[in-house]
Amino acid sequence: MSETTSTAGPTTASMAAPAEPGDVGKAAQLAAAELDATIAGIEHRLTEWAADTGAALAAMSGKVTGTAVDKLIRPVVEELVQLPGGYAAGAGFIANAGLLGPERSYIAWWQGPDLEHVDALANFSPNSISRYVKAEWFRIPVETGRAHVTGPYVDFLCTDEYVLTFTHPVFTRPDGPVAGIVGIDVTVQRLERGAMAALRRIGGRATLANADGRAIVSAASDIDAGDLTAPNEPCAQYPVGRTFTLCSDAVGL
Amino acid sequence: MVLSPTGASRSLAAVFTPIKSRGLVDEVCGRIEQAVETGLLTSGQRLPNETELAAALGVSAVTAREALSQLRASGIIRTARGRSGGSFIADDVLPSRERALAQLHELSRLQIRDLALHYQAIAAACAGVAARRSDAADIATLRSFIPAADDDPLSWRLALSEFLLEVAAIARSARLARELIRLQADLGTLTLLPCADTGYRGRTAVILGDVAAAIETHDPGAAETGVKALISATTDWLLTEQAKSY
Repeated sequence: MSETTSTAGPTTASMAAPAEPGDVGKAAQLAAAELDATIAGIEHRLTEWAADTGAALAAMSGKVTGTAVDKLIRPVVEELVQLPGGYAAGAGFIANAGLLGPERSYIAWWQGPDLEHVDALANFSPNSISRYVKAEWFRIPVETGRAHVTGPYVDFLCTDEYVLTFTHPVFTRPDGPVAGIVGIDVTVQRLERGAMAALRRIGGRATLANADGRAIVSAASDIDAGDLTAPNEPCAQYPVGRTFTLCSDAVGL
Repeated sequence: MVLSPTGASRSLAAVFTPIKSRGLVDEVCGRIEQAVETGLLTSGQRLPNETELAAALGVSAVTAREALSQLRASGIIRTARGRSGGSFIADDVLPSRERALAQLHELSRLQIRDLALHYQAIAAACAGVAARRSDAADIATLRSFIPAADDDPLSWRLALSEFLLEVAAIARSARLARELIRLQADLGTLTLLPCADTGYRGRTAVILGDVAAAIETHDPGAAETGVKALISATTDWLLTEQAKSY
């Protein structure tokens, strides 16, 4: 029995292992497409959520309250965070100044399977917006009106973990100001579990990096998440999601 | 060789140490004190009632009520009755020199030294890794936390702790960052004292510049030396001040 298993392992592996250079490219492309589908899936879900949230806020016709925002956001966060095999460690909505009051923000953000309410005390502060305006995950989607990925970074506000935060602006009118942002936190740890197998199929030094070349997950033992990396030319590079790059052979800087 | 459980194993001794929890009430009070200290909640501002506070922090109404009464006893909030009643952040709540001095005199020299040693070990580890991992954006953020010489002591104290937290953020280690936050909480308001001294502010401003430069030029050795010097400057000041009480 144990003998059968031990021979079955290598055989499957050698079957999957490409024999010709053309197959190398094909297997790698499949693995890269798998990772792209994961990240693009998160980005797509966020875009959809931003549109739904914008429409629901617009329907409140100027009478937006904290309670109403909680009621709108919490069920979605619950679904995202508790989805079996899902990627969200936490998610939520943060109001831009103006939606609930001039200097006021409002945070409706929950994390973990028990839906722990994040930064809830800030909602009682009249100048709560000051807490978020400098943060990249809030500032960039608000300023540019476009989706953004922050990190990997150590998230002091919520999880105290090493995370990526995907954020998307929310509009109540197509030409209007940004009403707020919706976002999803994904821990690097979770991505590592989801990406390592695919990376190893591409190669021993295959690395998923953010737009700055900072490693998120790498198959190489000398490249840690957070290290700056560069592609070891000539190597294959594949776009993953809107901003990440998968490089078949990376070197640490 | 098998270790006998009856032997004097120090790791085993730790297993049977009684567990002391800080308690939920203290935790809620700590959060509110922190919100006041960082300017999120300001003097005169109305606090949510028991039910709202309990819901926001995910604790029971009983815990919230106890926390409010503990905050009232320590003078952080005041309560007014009647139609416009409720709990408000007290007028004079910012960490005061008197409170910091009282805290300093409660500590022994041994405790201060040991705390500093731990703080240096963690901060130096952060600085070393940060020097390897920094990019241009990191350095710009880090430099934004270097305070101006004429800032008031409170903002100096906040800037110094934010600067070290940013070093941990650049190191990108969640564990080291959490440890640093815990150490800063242990130091409490103590660090307010040296920040009132112009000489100390001048010395530390130079060190902060050196640390930022070392992290920028990817020089782990110099970055480690720099943060250790920064913490020494604080500890030396505190020990000199504490000696005066004898």
